[in-house]
Amino acid sequence: MPKKIRFALGAGLMVAAIAYLIVTAVRNTAEYYLTVGEVKARQSELAGQTLRVAGRVVPGTISWNPETLTLAFGITQPPAQDAPAGVQPVAITAAAAVFHVICRGQPKPDMFAPGRDVIVEGALASDGTIQARQVLTSCPSKYAPKQPATAP
Amino acid sequence: MPLIGQLALALALILAAYSIIANLVGARRSLPALLASGRHAVWATCAMVTVAVAALWTSLLRSDFSLEYVASYTSASLPTFYKITALWGGQQGSLLLWTWLLTIFTAIAAFQNRRRNPEIAPYALVVLAAIAIFFLGMLNFVTRPFDMLAAVAPDGQDLNPLLQNYWMAIHPPSLYTGYVSASVPFAFAAGALITGRLDDSWIRSTRRWAIFSWFFLTLGNLFGARWAYEVLGWGGYWAWDPVENAAFMPWLVMTAYLHSVMIQERKDMLKVWNLVLIGMAFALTLFGTFITRSGVISSVHSFTQSGLGPYFLTFLIIVVLAYSAMLIVRVPKLRSPAEFESYLSREAAFLFNNLVLVGIAFAVFWGTLFPVLSEAVRGVKITVGPPFFDKVNAPLALALIFLMGFGPLIAWRRSSLGNLAKTFASPALFGLVTGGCAFLAGLRQWYVLAALSLAAFVLGTIVVEFRRGVGARRHLVKESAPAAIVNLVAKNNRRYGGYIIHVGVVLAFIGIVASSYFRTEVKKSVREGETFQVGPYDLEYLGIETTETPHVETSRARIEVRRNGRPVAMMLPAKLFFKRNQQPATAVAIRSTPAADLYVVLAGIDDQTGLATFQVFLTPLVFWLWAGGIVMAFGTVIAMWPNVRERAAIAATVRAAAATPAVGEPLRRRA
Repeated sequence: MPKKIRFALGAGLMVAAIAYLIVTAVRNTAEYYLTVGEVKARQSELAGQTLRVAGRVVPGTISWNPETLTLAFGITQPPAQDAPAGVQPVAITAAAAVFHVICRGQPKPDMFAPGRDVIVEGALASDGTIQARQVLTSCPSKYAPKQPATAP
Repeated sequence: MPLIGQLALALALILAAYSIIANLVGARRSLPALLASGRHAVWATCAMVTVAVAALWTSLLRSDFSLEYVASYTSASLPTFYKITALWGGQQGSLLLWTWLLTIFTAIAAFQNRRRNPEIAPYALVVLAAIAIFFLGMLNFVTRPFDMLAAVAPDGQDLNPLLQNYWMAIHPPSLYTGYVSASVPFAFAAGALITGRLDDSWIRSTRRWAIFSWFFLTLGNLFGARWAYEVLGWGGYWAWDPVENAAFMPWLVMTAYLHSVMIQERKDMLKVWNLVLIGMAFALTLFGTFITRSGVISSVHSFTQSGLGPYFLTFLIIVVLAYSAMLIVRVPKLRSPAEFESYLSREAAFLFNNLVLVGIAFAVFWGTLFPVLSEAVRGVKITVGPPFFDKVNAPLALALIFLMGFGPLIAWRRSSLGNLAKTFASPALFGLVTGGCAFLAGLRQWYVLAALSLAAFVLGTIVVEFRRGVGARRHLVKESAPAAIVNLVAKNNRRYGGYIIHVGVVLAFIGIVASSYFRTEVKKSVREGETFQVGPYDLEYLGIETTETPHVETSRARIEVRRNGRPVAMMLPAKLFFKRNQQPATAVAIRSTPAADLYVVLAGIDDQTGLATFQVFLTPLVFWLWAGGIVMAFGTVIAMWPNVRERAAIAATVRAAAATPAVGEPLRRRA
């Protein structure tokens, strides 16, 4: 066999091995990344799966027990016009909660607050509760300036 | 000040445009006077951008809140140190820093090549100026650092609390230096393609630039990891976030490039491949900026999302298309007379090292872009997280470590099996014994065992190599052993610097494997006076203290750490509250020893119950990741150091170039 072909074969094998690694790893680790609205629309089909869900923390639904490190809160779909941005004081009432999230055994993230956009990683139960493995707060690099209500 | 800065940026744009015309026409028509004028324009561009940087720094230091940038990223109470670093705290300033570095490097390259490389250099300067024009265009028309507010703000919005950390002064500039200096070898590669001077003169002239770039990419990545480790408070240092990946990919490709150019210099092979690699490295630096600034991919870093994405994408596409077109045209002239002879040869080992490095880069690229690709193809956003990257890269890393021991020692062209056995018997034995000992000590994870054995194998090969060199010197020049080591390294600094880098990589690899496999985590809410256990340590929570400055409020917990009843440390993890932007942040307490890091996070204080929540990580051997980084940096400095032989070679080129300015001469080949 000519040397050129022999080497092309070796290199090809290497490339194929790497491609195989990538394909199997994708198959084993891929997770849906959905918004609250998208999960709602396909709730029955997604039940039991591990998902990443992006939503907004509903004010008035948060309970935090530091003794057991249990954080529970409701999330909802942020209004469309400011979807990906950071802190936006939007009037959402407790009734707006679409999914109930429970996260056990993790400290409460620093930036966790009512009305904040979060990404919840966890499994969707059939009753619409998300058992979260992790709650990530998106940290805005620019802040809406606090309104100087009492400014001189 | 803002006016001066604005004006300087406009002038810089004009000067850069002029330098392109002067260098192009000067090179086409062989007009030395015009080429000199083009060089002067390059220097003037750099001077103008420097003025703009000085203007922005002045405004930041003076807290001139009439300037939008100053009002967005600083506040009156921000410490001076962070006012200085705020230059790269926001998008406009980051691009200005990028442009500044680019024009400085271009100016240096113009100076270095005022007599060298008479053919390629003018075109390389044209390419560099074209890149500068893109950035200057952004700064002049799209994202302007000197925009004024309609009304002067009473105070600024302050720098992001996560950025108020000393790493902010070190990490971004290092990474940018690494990114931007990759432009110089790229420009010379493009110059070689344009002029058709396709020998290895472009590689040799920019060898130190490539190592310089690699040095800062390495440091930038490590500093970023260290920053994440100290500041983010999750006990880890790398999360495969798109922004981290964006910095990691150019590093991987640059690493491949630094290895494969050796094959071209020695064997005149892989010519096309080297041109491809340097093009990829440069494109990836642009791609990194594109994904971090465009918001195409969501990242925990979430920089200001802005309208920059399309501009960067367009520029990136133009660069890739133009470069590929030139490369394709030149391919017939790039045929190599030599070919691979045997799998058991250094050429082959280096080829496979390149495939693995580029393979890792591709896997990282694929994983980073996966959400975008899946959304485009299947209409659903699917992400792959850290498990994907770990799964793919773990076996590839093993292959790489193996090749790191194998490649440098095996003979060129072909090696016989007997030769192989002689060279590798003792390192291989050392590796097996190490793995065996680890097994007897109770380790059962096959990956860890393989990693340890291979790491020992590589260290063994390096020891063998040093011993061989020292032995030869002692035999020939009758030196003492220490003198022989010093002279060996000094005389062959590129080669032995490389080995020292390899030692650093092995140490860092051990740190990474151990910290990924054996980290323990304890989360606990306790009252004052309570004690809890983490590994061999007892941690007693003694209480909390709150201090306040006009800028930040700090609640600092005191924890006494005891081992076997004896106090070993007092740890002070804290929670910070930044007043200006009403944001909390965490200050981690770390007790680092070569054996393990104890890492304590004050995760929360409950006002009603008085409970303090702590998250504690015990991470073995993570110390060696940072130590390995220092060794890598040290080795790189040695490899970069100018040596006598090389200087002579360059002097010879300069003389030759002076004698026949139109033709130039390739650098004398080193044996």
